[in-house]
Amino acid sequence: MSDTVSIAVRPAGPGRSWRSRLRALYLRSEALRGYTLLSPTLVVMAFAMVAPFTILVAMSFWTQTGFDIDTTLTLRNYQEAADAPVYRALLIRSLWISGTCAVLTVLFSYPMAYYVAFHVHRRKLVWIILMTLPFWTSYLLRVFSWKVILGYNGAINSGLKSLGLIEQPLEFLLYSPTAIVITLAHAWAAFAILPIYVSLEKIDRSLLEAAADLGDGPVARFLRVTLPLSLPGVIAASLLIFIPTVGDYITPTLVGGPDGIMIANLIQVQFGRVNDWPMGATLAILMMIVVGLISVTYIWLSRKAIERIA
Amino acid sequence: MDTRDLIARIKNRDISRRDLLQGMSAAGLAVVMTPAMSRIAKAAAADQATYFTWGGYDVPEFVPTYVTKHGEPPNFATFGGSEEALTKMLAGYVVDVAHPCNQAIPRWIATGLFQPLDTSRLSNWPDIMPELINLEGNVVDGKPYMAPTDWGRTSITYRTDLVDLQGQEESWGMLWDERYKGRLGMLASGGDSWWCGAIYAGVDFKDIASEEGFKKVAAIMRKQRPLIRTYTDDTTSLEQALASGELVAAMTWDSSAVVLKGEGVPVTFANPKEGALTWVCGAMMHKDAPKPDKAYDIIDALLSPEAGKWLIGENGYGHSNTKSFELFSDDELTALGLSSNPADILSAGKFQIPQTQEFETAMNKEFEQIKAGF
Repeated sequence: MSDTVSIAVRPAGPGRSWRSRLRALYLRSEALRGYTLLSPTLVVMAFAMVAPFTILVAMSFWTQTGFDIDTTLTLRNYQEAADAPVYRALLIRSLWISGTCAVLTVLFSYPMAYYVAFHVHRRKLVWIILMTLPFWTSYLLRVFSWKVILGYNGAINSGLKSLGLIEQPLEFLLYSPTAIVITLAHAWAAFAILPIYVSLEKIDRSLLEAAADLGDGPVARFLRVTLPLSLPGVIAASLLIFIPTVGDYITPTLVGGPDGIMIANLIQVQFGRVNDWPMGATLAILMMIVVGLISVTYIWLSRKAIERIA
Repeated sequence: MDTRDLIARIKNRDISRRDLLQGMSAAGLAVVMTPAMSRIAKAAAADQATYFTWGGYDVPEFVPTYVTKHGEPPNFATFGGSEEALTKMLAGYVVDVAHPCNQAIPRWIATGLFQPLDTSRLSNWPDIMPELINLEGNVVDGKPYMAPTDWGRTSITYRTDLVDLQGQEESWGMLWDERYKGRLGMLASGGDSWWCGAIYAGVDFKDIASEEGFKKVAAIMRKQRPLIRTYTDDTTSLEQALASGELVAAMTWDSSAVVLKGEGVPVTFANPKEGALTWVCGAMMHKDAPKPDKAYDIIDALLSPEAGKWLIGENGYGHSNTKSFELFSDDELTALGLSSNPADILSAGKFQIPQTQEFETAMNKEFEQIKAGF
């Protein structure tokens, strides 16, 4: 490199020793070189994530007065969030809906991933693409199509009615927490199928043969070999669904009805018509903390479980 | 590769795999590029001013003279409630013209986001009903901020075949009727619902912000909550639910009833004995409107009798221009629930009174909690 050469032949001086020392440090330290390589990403992260998050945290200690924000630091918002039962109840309901949804999605996605991983031998990619096909349309459209299916005059109700099974349309289908769980479970299926498929695909087939040779039937083989080895995929899938759905507000708005309002709906109106941004920030942070704690506990528990199985 | 050439070669089965792949990738690229191309083609809309309005008003028929003058409609942006619109603009969203209602005027002016109107630039101004211009807080130092465009009522649209009035007069009590539990719909925005609750609770609008009035309305809204199937700002979903029979009655504006009647659904827009909620909405101009000349064109178009024709004929709303009413016969107006003397309807209804921002925040907070079941 001509660069190195020119530095080497340059006469000694105060500038030179400073620069070459920096350069030597840079070349010696792997971490420094790593960070330099990462720096564009780090800058983006700092601007797009750390900065908004800092603003959110700061705002949660402020208070709204009319159109203005009073920037005296206070815990009033947190106090209010702890006192008013509505926030706690909606947070618990959101966690409950997302938890149910994560469990159901994993249960329904597992057989699909299993089938592709073990029983499809040609054109696996085509199968995977076909499974993710619904995701090529907009999320909003998928929610609306569930509204059409579950609705008062929707596919299910008119089907049951024409079969003579019901007289009046079933009203609990739409505008209820059930409707949210169904819609979310379908909307997030791909996020469960893919990680589970990957972890199933990685399983060494000779282990399965060994289990069979040693006398395990199909069920015992699945429970003792396949399931434990695919657990990392299952855990990843359930977290991938649980974390974002807790904060969903479009689905409850469209199919939830009065009993299906979730915490994110309340956060959204704080920034909209209620016009209390600090309260919205407080609720967002509380939600983040709770979801974080639950996820960490879940990962810790599942790690313990895997250790015990292994 | 020429397309025609390619097709001919496919027909003659004289095509290599490489050629086919090449052709396919060209087609793929074309598909990917299409949105980008149409965006370039649409770039002309950037020359137009932006009108920030309620959902449903975002149609060229509401700004007819603007479309004839500039060849295309302005850019529309919509909102579901005026509080939501205001917070969006406070957060830095700049539009040319926005669409608040009478109750919001003083608070909107207080934000300093709007400029008074130069009425000499509006050709239709002399025909505007003066009582609509002199709304509380609208005229500051002799200059109006809001050019009134439309007015109407918030009341109940109900299915005449499914609701049994039992010989009683129409009343707000229809939306509190236990017999129709789970088949009633409400507007989600407190700007309508809370005030209608106040009418039903018998709270005078002068006392709506008093502690006693606030508690009374909150109690009656809480009582109603278990009866409601859905709270929404989307009038279309209320209309669809009324048409299918999922809902038997819902709080709506005039236009929902007119639209449903037009589709042959047996509905009527109630004239509750306690009085309907009456409102006047209009156009305000942003202080930093990027296209002030075109903004005046939008406002003038909104005030034109042609806009009034659409507003009255298709929606059953009132217009601010007296000449608009001359386009309809007395019978037509009566069928729409209007009158050739609009002042009659305006004076019969209950007018919202502007409130402080503190009241708006407290009220919306309380109403959100009630809707969530607390």
